[in-house]
Order: sequence, then structure tokens, then C-alpha cells
Amino acid sequence: MATKLKEVDAVIVGLGWTGGILAKELAEAGLKVVALERGAMRSTDKDYAVPNIRDELRYVVRHDLMQNTARDTLTVRNNPTQEALPMRRLGSFLPGEVVGGSAVHWSGHTWRWTDMEFKVRSLYEERYGKSFVPADMTIQDWGITYAELEPYYDKFEYTAAVSGKAGNIRGQIQRGGNPYEAPRARDYPLPPLTPILASEMFTKAAENNGYHPFPRPSANASQAYTNPDGSKFGPCQYCGYCQRFGCEANAKGSPHITVIPIAMRNPNFELRTHSWVTKVLKDSDGKRVTGVTYTNVLNGEEFEQPAGMVLLCAYAINNVHLMLLSGIGQPYDPVAQTGVIGKNYCYQTGAGATLFFENRHFNPFMNAGGSNATIDDFNINWAFDRGPHGFVGGYNMAGGFNTVLPIGYRPVPRGTPQWGKEWKAATAKWYQTAMNIGASGSVMANRYNYYDLDPTYRNAFGQPLMRMTFDYKENEHKMGRHAAAAINAIAKSMNPTRLNEATARTDPWTVVPYQSTHNTGGTIMGTSPRDSAVNKYLQSWDCHNLFVVGANVFPHNASYNPTGPVGALAYWMADAIKTRYVRAPGPLVPA
Amino acid sequence: MSSRSRPVVRLLWLAALIAATTTARADGDAARGEQRFADCVACHSTERNVNNVGPSLHGVFERKAGELPDFRYSPAIKRSGISWTPQTLDVFIADPQKMVPANRMPYAGMPDADARADLIAYLLKASK
Repeated sequence: MATKLKEVDAVIVGLGWTGGILAKELAEAGLKVVALERGAMRSTDKDYAVPNIRDELRYVVRHDLMQNTARDTLTVRNNPTQEALPMRRLGSFLPGEVVGGSAVHWSGHTWRWTDMEFKVRSLYEERYGKSFVPADMTIQDWGITYAELEPYYDKFEYTAAVSGKAGNIRGQIQRGGNPYEAPRARDYPLPPLTPILASEMFTKAAENNGYHPFPRPSANASQAYTNPDGSKFGPCQYCGYCQRFGCEANAKGSPHITVIPIAMRNPNFELRTHSWVTKVLKDSDGKRVTGVTYTNVLNGEEFEQPAGMVLLCAYAINNVHLMLLSGIGQPYDPVAQTGVIGKNYCYQTGAGATLFFENRHFNPFMNAGGSNATIDDFNINWAFDRGPHGFVGGYNMAGGFNTVLPIGYRPVPRGTPQWGKEWKAATAKWYQTAMNIGASGSVMANRYNYYDLDPTYRNAFGQPLMRMTFDYKENEHKMGRHAAAAINAIAKSMNPTRLNEATARTDPWTVVPYQSTHNTGGTIMGTSPRDSAVNKYLQSWDCHNLFVVGANVFPHNASYNPTGPVGALAYWMADAIKTRYVRAPGPLVPA
Repeated sequence: MSSRSRPVVRLLWLAALIAATTTARADGDAARGEQRFADCVACHSTERNVNNVGPSLHGVFERKAGELPDFRYSPAIKRSGISWTPQTLDVFIADPQKMVPANRMPYAGMPDADARADLIAYLLKASK
């Protein structure tokens, strides 16, 4: 029997970037806020400091900061004709499980998604005609504009200490920045990170090929920085342990060194760790939510936390799972094409080449999460004509590397034996001489890529596992072929000694190896309850005191990393709650 | 490696290093130094007993390296035998891994002598 606790104004499920932002903003607005985080409290001084953090076995192989799959996981399959099986071990993506969430172990890549995403269907139909978008490609406009989000992107970038070079300030193209980006009100808070040799070589080659390289914007502080909230950042040390690790130098924009400690100093806020939320509770007519139930995972004790408002701020997959487990909104059915919860699950795709240069020394152990150069000529460049290539979306291409670890990073030319004397000689010879060029590609929504509850397998709490049905479609294969060709052309122009060419991936998606922790969709935002789960303020169409924030609200997935719009949307939603919802609770957009 | 296993050699080398750099400047500007301290403040406090990622710098010029009882120092710092003075701190901050190899401070160093002079002028005041 669950112990019923005292009601609070708002309960936050999951304390990462979005939960942290909401916790700080709402507590400062005078609301009594409780956050429930499934993971433990960890801090830079006790957990992420040198030398303990530099433990590749613990953090990379054993996933110390990630979701425990013995407690809850997903079942996966490529299409509805298959039987889905549980993912027993993390692989393709890595949801965080700690105070700070996945924003502890992210690399910091922070992009502004533009109207090219938010108006995706309108733009492509207008330019190429309605038949250009395949019938099973369920993309839709997001119901929000870049102009609306711009101040919130700015706020997030200044909170998270993003280093970069503006390409477009109020319509003025800036030399050295991304010429294709949408206009921004001002530059990044910090100058770009120091380039590494690999990114310098890529920059030069991209320029020689007529493209427009620029430094990747990243929440790795290029110099000491105090953000507008007073949070202090040290300068990035290029230690090479960024992705999958907490930052030892307090240089990576993470909620555990910014918004969360500020919220925790506020008497209106309380954090409960090791708290696994099992259900969002509804009132008898289903028009409002009344709180959540959760289990203390240390002792199994169950609680009910009543709340005036519920904010789902967990990892993108877990937010959707909670909606399905709680019976809020109509589950999506791909055959009848009815319902919305679980709809438009998307992922990302990619292609990559490894270039070997005899006698060059790249020092791959030394880099920041974002010390790469990238090009957007095939991404948010609308002048790039997709017509002849027949795909919707785009890809960002980057040269350099990020967190190539001393044990796991073993670049060798293709054809090298995978073990034994020859492999040893090759890994010794080529380790210092390799660099990568990679593309990260968008994935458009498809009718048959979705989430629902698994009919067979259950988690440690006796609840059905989330079932993920996903595969790449012809649209992504076409883009992959284009990306591989573009990468190989640049790579060959650099005259490497040896080249592992990029190839388009056309094989089915699998849960191994690691690919990208950029899972999107499932509770998508939009303009109508018929085709979306939440409105533009991320408020549930079904229960007006339920808000769902995270990449799960994206109607499709772009080439870019998702955290920029995730952070901006969290601030956007916080503003809507503070300035409108608490004064007049009810739907912020008429259904 | 050899310096870790042979502390006597290390100390001699340290002494030589410090002697060679006694030009540590005494004319730093504490106000500018407060801005230089931005490089340090994400991990170090100047308040007494406030340890963070790095130890409190309160009273730093009145103690030896590795002396605070409630901070977990690296063996390298504990072994170093350094007494913190404006001169030793100047050498250390210029290139921490050079002066104390294997110390755990994730900071590459402040190569600019004027900047260090300002920082130390600030710390002389702020650490009191």
C-alpha cells in the first residue's frame, strides 16, 4: 500500500536538464516543487574528479551513469511482423540515470534547430510538391517557430556555457561561423574551442571543396565563465573524457553544476533520489492529473505524491513509457493510423570514414566534446536541392574526434586482422595517425516506426516494457548514400595514406553497437489533439495540468543533436507556466 | 617515474626550479587578479573550510601543500613538500604538471607571468 504524501504544487519526474531548469524556474516563482529522480546524487568533487572519473571500464563498458537494464529496459524489433525481444544490455543509446541525467555524460553539442524542421512538411511540399513526401512518411509541422524560440535558445546557450562562433547575427553573415544558421540576437557566450589538428585539416579540405566549415558549438567552456545565474565554469582542459563521463573540471554545461544546485538552495524545492515513478494518476473524469506514484528503489517502499501539476522531464523514452503506462492519451495504432501516444519515434543515421596519414600525429587522447569542425552545406542549407537525390532532411558533416578513448579507440585500415600479431602491429602503427570524418543524418517520421507497450515482457515493477519498432527507410538510405559519397570526396581530396571509406548504411538497425542517444518522438507537439500529444507549450491535450518536455515532443529527428531545442523548450514551457498557467490554470491553446 | 620513486632528487630539482624563478613578481594587481581567479573559482573557494573539487585556498600561504585534514589530495601533492609562497605558487600555476607531476588538478596552467602576478596579488588578500 502506497504511503500518501502531502500535496505539492508541482512534481517533476526526472532531474536532468529539463527537470533542473523547471525546478529552478518554478521554485523561484514561488511554487512548492518536488523532483523525483531514479538515480543517485553525484557531484564533481566526490564522483567526477580526477583520477576516478577516467575509468573507461566503469563508465563506458559498464555504463555506470546509465539506466540499469536489469530494472527496466525496452523490447525492440525492426517492423511489426517481428517479435520484439528485450534489450538486456545498453548499446545503441544510453539514457542517463543520475541527478543531472544524460546531461552529465553528454558531449555538449548545442544546436539551434530552425524552421527547416519546424515547418518541414510545408516547406518540402511547397518546393517539391505533395508527392515528394512518401505516403508513409508521417512528418508534420511542429506548430512553433524559430522566432518564438530564439530568446529561449539564447537563454539556454548562456546558461550552459556554449562555445562557438555565430554565423548570422540579426541577418548579418559572420565570417567563420555557420552561414546557414537562422539569425541570432547575439553571439555565443564564449569563443570557439581551440581546434585540434584533425579539425584544422578538415576545415581546410572543406574550404578547398567549396563548403563552409565552422567550429561546432558546444557546451564546453573554452575559457572560465560565470553564467547569468552565477554558476561558475572552469576552462575546458581537452582531457579527452567527455562523452559518457562527468566533467572533472566543471567545464561542461551540465545541470548538476548550474540549475540544480540553485534549485536545491531554494526552500521551495525538494529532491528525492532513487525514486522510480511508476504511474501518473488521473482524476475520475480523466481531465486532470492528480500526482504520481513512485517506488524507492533502495527499499521497495511505495509512495503517492499528490501534485497540482505533473511535469514529465525523464529521458525521452521514459516519458512516453509513463504516458502509455498511465493511460493518458490514445495509444498510436500504425494500422488504423489512430491515436498519438507512441507515434513518430525517430532516431538518427550516419556514415563515417577513417583517414590515415603516415607521419601525422593527431594526439587523439586530447580533445574536447566539441572540438570538431563541421559543415551544414547538406543540412540546413535550403539552397541544397534535394530534388535530384529524392530525400527529405539532411546531414551535418564533421571532421575530428570526440572522446576517442585509450583502450576502446583502435583505428586500423580495413583488411587488418581483428586480433593477433598483425593487429597489434597495426594498432601501434596507426593509433596516432588516424582522424575521422562523419555525418550525422536526420530520420524522418514513418508510419511504422513507433512505441507501444510490449505484450509479453515486464520490468522489475511488474509493468509492461516499452516496445520500440524501428528501422531505417528508403529516405534514410538515399541520404546515407549521398553522405557517404560527399564524405569520401572530401576525404580523398586530403590524400590520406590509407582510407577506410564511408559506406551508406542500408542494413537493418540493431541495438548494438553504440550509435546515438538522440531518440525522439512518441509524445509529439503540434497544433491539434488529432495529430499530437501536446500543444506548443508542451501541455497535454488530454490533461491540462500535465506537461511533457524532452526530445519526445519532436515530430521528427533532425541531423543535429537535440539538446539545444530541448533546453530552449524547457525555458519556453517554464515561462508559459509561470506567466500564464499558474494565473489561469487550463488549456493554453484551445483544442 | 624516477622522480616519484626518488623524493630527494625531486626536492633538489624543485629547489633548483624555484631558485631559477625567484623572479616571481611582487607588483601584481589584485583587482585584475580577481578576474584571473575566474580560472580557479569553479573548483576553489577562498572561504575557510569550503572544499570543492579543489581544496579551500583560505590561508594557503600559511601552509604546506597537502595539509588540509579534510581534503583528499593526490599522493603527488602530499609528497611534494612544497610550502606555498608567492614564489612557489607562481611556479606551480605556470605549469602544474611540470612542478608536481601526477597531481590531480585538471588545469593546464597560466603561462603569462603578468597574469600570475595579478592572481597571486589577489590571493594574498583573498586567502586571509
